[in-house]
Amino acid sequence: MKIKFKIWRQEGPEDKGAIKEYTVNDLTEEMSFLEALDHLNEQLVLKNEEVIAFEHDCREGICGQCGVFINGRAHGPINNITTCQLHMRSFNDGDTIFVEPWRAKSFPVIKDLIVDRSAFDRIIEHGAFISTNTGSAPEANALPIPKAVAESAMDAASCIGCGACVATCKNSSAALFTSAKINHLNNLPQGKAEEHKRVEEMTAQMDIEGFGSCTFTGACEVECPENISIVNIAEMHARLMKAKILG
Amino acid sequence: MTLDSKIPEGKLEDKWSNYQLNSQLINPANKKKLNIIVVGSGLAGAGAASTLAELGYDVQCFCYQDSARRAHSVAAQGGINAAKNYQHDGDSVYRMFYDTLKGGDFRSREANTYRLAQLSAPLIDHFVQQGVPFAREYGGTLVNRSFGGVQVQRTFYARGQTGQQLLLAAYSQLYKMVRAKKVKMYPRHEMLDLVVIEGKAKGIITRDLVTGELKRFAADAVVLATGGYSRVFRLSTLAVGCNGSAIWKAHKKGAFFAAPSFTQIHPTALPQTSEAQSKLTLMSESLRNDGRIWVPKQKGDPRKANDIPEEDRDYYLERRYPSFGNLAPRDIASRAAKERIDAGYGCGKLNNAVYLDFKTAIDKLGLETIKDRYGNLFSMYQKITGIDAYKEPMQISPAAHFSMGGLWVDYELMTSIPGLYAIGECNFSDHGANRLGANSLLQASIDGYFILPNTINNYLASEMKVDRPDTSHPEFEKSELETSQHIDKLLAINGSKTVGHFHRVLGKVMWQECAMSRNRSGLEKAIVQIKAIRDQFWSDVKITGGKDELNTELEKALRLADFIELGILMCMDALEREESCGAHFREEFQTEDGEAVRKDQNFSYVSAWEFEKGNFKLHKEELFFEFVKPSIRSYK
Amino acid sequence: MHLKFIRKLILALSGLFLCLFLIVHLSANCLLIFPEATARVLYNTYSTTLRESTFIKVISYFLYASIILHVWYALLTTISNRKSKPQKYVVNRTNENSTWSSQNMGLIGILILLFIVVHLANFWARIKLGLGEEVLLDKHGNKDVYEVTYSLFQNFYFVIFYSLLAFPLGLHLHHGLKSAFKTLGFYHKKGLELLAKVSLIYALIISVGFGLIPIIVYFK
Repeated sequence: MKIKFKIWRQEGPEDKGAIKEYTVNDLTEEMSFLEALDHLNEQLVLKNEEVIAFEHDCREGICGQCGVFINGRAHGPINNITTCQLHMRSFNDGDTIFVEPWRAKSFPVIKDLIVDRSAFDRIIEHGAFISTNTGSAPEANALPIPKAVAESAMDAASCIGCGACVATCKNSSAALFTSAKINHLNNLPQGKAEEHKRVEEMTAQMDIEGFGSCTFTGACEVECPENISIVNIAEMHARLMKAKILG
Repeated sequence: MTLDSKIPEGKLEDKWSNYQLNSQLINPANKKKLNIIVVGSGLAGAGAASTLAELGYDVQCFCYQDSARRAHSVAAQGGINAAKNYQHDGDSVYRMFYDTLKGGDFRSREANTYRLAQLSAPLIDHFVQQGVPFAREYGGTLVNRSFGGVQVQRTFYARGQTGQQLLLAAYSQLYKMVRAKKVKMYPRHEMLDLVVIEGKAKGIITRDLVTGELKRFAADAVVLATGGYSRVFRLSTLAVGCNGSAIWKAHKKGAFFAAPSFTQIHPTALPQTSEAQSKLTLMSESLRNDGRIWVPKQKGDPRKANDIPEEDRDYYLERRYPSFGNLAPRDIASRAAKERIDAGYGCGKLNNAVYLDFKTAIDKLGLETIKDRYGNLFSMYQKITGIDAYKEPMQISPAAHFSMGGLWVDYELMTSIPGLYAIGECNFSDHGANRLGANSLLQASIDGYFILPNTINNYLASEMKVDRPDTSHPEFEKSELETSQHIDKLLAINGSKTVGHFHRVLGKVMWQECAMSRNRSGLEKAIVQIKAIRDQFWSDVKITGGKDELNTELEKALRLADFIELGILMCMDALEREESCGAHFREEFQTEDGEAVRKDQNFSYVSAWEFEKGNFKLHKEELFFEFVKPSIRSYK
Repeated sequence: MHLKFIRKLILALSGLFLCLFLIVHLSANCLLIFPEATARVLYNTYSTTLRESTFIKVISYFLYASIILHVWYALLTTISNRKSKPQKYVVNRTNENSTWSSQNMGLIGILILLFIVVHLANFWARIKLGLGEEVLLDKHGNKDVYEVTYSLFQNFYFVIFYSLLAFPLGLHLHHGLKSAFKTLGFYHKKGLELLAKVSLIYALIISVGFGLIPIIVYFK
């Protein structure tokens, strides 16, 4: 396959950055998109050029580290996958592929396609846990959790923190990410003790980090590799109002 | 130096409590003054860092990823074992201990393995309390399923995401302590050297992966939780960034490396499809519950799988192991697949795979049942390969997976360097020569949450009296200088081949000679070849970009330089162990029908290698079986 | 704390109130399609009743407030949301993951605001404020609002303007109605599916209704 890549290159946070063009001739359909980038990078090394910096780790769609905007879509043209799960067979010979980093004020570019997503960690820091220490747990089956509750908590908990929701959202809202975490814990009996504090503090931190507000375009749930539903955001709003009234 | 495993006195079931009774304690006011470095933020690292911080220690935690949540613990799909006996099927701590010891082919310590089983039940309590959404029955109690080669149901799971969910719990707990200012978290920092002062681990040198700056960190104890090293094979089920550098640097500073050749090859991964492939994705072992494995009877059969009639298919596992069939343990299933592929019966584009067929199961149980059981795995398979496995068989292939080997640790999880601990996959402790499915999450968590926080005090109590060295200490100077020179040397080579090229070459040698089956001449040849690769690497590698910036090529080169050296040691260890046990299969030591021959009289020990001026010196820790009698594994 | 969310709450509440108002407004407009004599009596009586009712007076203040709050907080939200994404993508295929209207509520809102200004100038300014041409009384002594409407819609350009702008109104309502409920924390899954359908039907009725009436009046 012959592919023309148009890739965002930016030396550092202060650099202005620009799209640069690279043509690669010897790609195959079996390659994953990231392997195509690996391949391009090896060619760049041999040409004595600096490689394109991009993030990746597990390469099986679970760690959430990879993620770039490909041809105008977070994680590429296919719905609900990660960048590492995208394969070159989804493109045609001769295609031009635009590759850009996640764009959001709260995700500043570090270099090329790598952005800083530590804002997510700080949201987590503000309540995405249950405040009990190791060693103080009661017997696991002492507190039965109905299957439906466990399942809905699991649906929300499956978020891998890749940031595609923020990247694709026109407002760079982190509502899907934050709500998934809140609903995971607040749905479970273990999370009840801190439910109001959790929702208030995590949503407040979301604003402090500079994420925009949700306007329900629904783009996030289409790009989310874990199919997390936008209904979570509505649920978070309900919880926040409840917390404001009762908390 | 003699290896003291420090196994406590007493009956098997009393050893851990006896240990705790006799270990020294530190009062809370003093804990604040003690600083502990934890390298790695997976289940072991995050569990340890958060628990140590809760106990009052001052903790610094490091990871190379952008966030602690990325650690490769996330990738474990299947589940976590615990001897809860919720299913009322006769499970017990003892049975779990025995299964683990036997699964590891009697190459681990009884006391360690028993403790693993003993602490498994409270661990489930802990994770439930932390909000892990484990699968539940309608009545609200926890569900269990069975897993590879055991006869009870003791595996707890959270859909296909058990590892992810456990890590998220650990990560949240860690960030709770970050916010409480008890843990200082350093993401995008890679440990490049260990600082040893007066024989004790006192700090590390890291490289800030964003700025390239080398930094010094001092502490009263250093804990390594850096995971497995199977990326030495390049193609593996591990994350691309997983590496052995931290433990290798520790090894070079004096920590013994135990059983490096014990690496597990997983039978159900997706096959390699191109030279450029970077990773072999694991498909959960649970697929073997209903899938049948076969290859064509005719070499290089050009027909499509569905066009090959029953009589032309060879269900080789069912043929060779009639009683376990497709559920034979990992090492056996992997080896059998390799045997068929090597003999020329492999399928797929590169003739490197075997079929995993669900047709019989779908006919028997119905499509809906199979969808219900494996839906997420089938859709994952389709995402990666584009193939609908409900309609045609999956193609699978063995892939390098878990490393049982790692830094040698005693019962306290301390390495042979005082003050240096190794926890989780990066140590050699509980799995022996082969790890059972769903035991890796368990070991990582137990090491981090329960064991280390209860043993480190025994060392730190005496360190209370010693002043923590300052980072201006000459040893820090020296370590940083050496690291900096190492980097300069790499960048100065400016050769003609990429880092990726050398990794592919190394991976091929390792896969060919030091993976599923090994033999003397192959291993001897491999050592020569790897040494040649090392020389070529150091004279001809090309790395672009500088050291004072984010440079992914430099990161890869630094990791590969260590992998090459580790590869040599792995081959040496495999060569030295003249028996077949667990994942280590020496072709010279097999029965007439191809089964492993273990030699307990000569090899019932843990090999522990010491780095001595560029050479490796073998020490042996004899294994004593006081409570069980090693038996021969048979899955016929 | 939660300033952004509070803004969204105000947007949702004021929006929902306006949605309710539109139903009443459209129902009244339907009177216009009766034969001329009936329509004139009914329409003028109706509008006189409204003007003289204290209750409606209070409601009308709510209405003005809703419009002003909705516009103002939409503006604030849009500005702050744009700040959250200072750099745009070179290529962005939003059409593949979301509807055009959901991506462009601000733009659509500006069109609607423009419409409201013209609409108020045409009617409210003349009838309530007495600006421009004087509104005559009908034979029952009511202000002849019917005549105001009828004469306006004899102008081809106004008919086009009123009818065309019913489209953006429909798009705005379709996205706005269901989103307002989600903003207000309505998260029942099945309920939301139903709500999506209701939003569509509501938006269709309102936009087709408002779009057709000027044309019908024009050809009367």
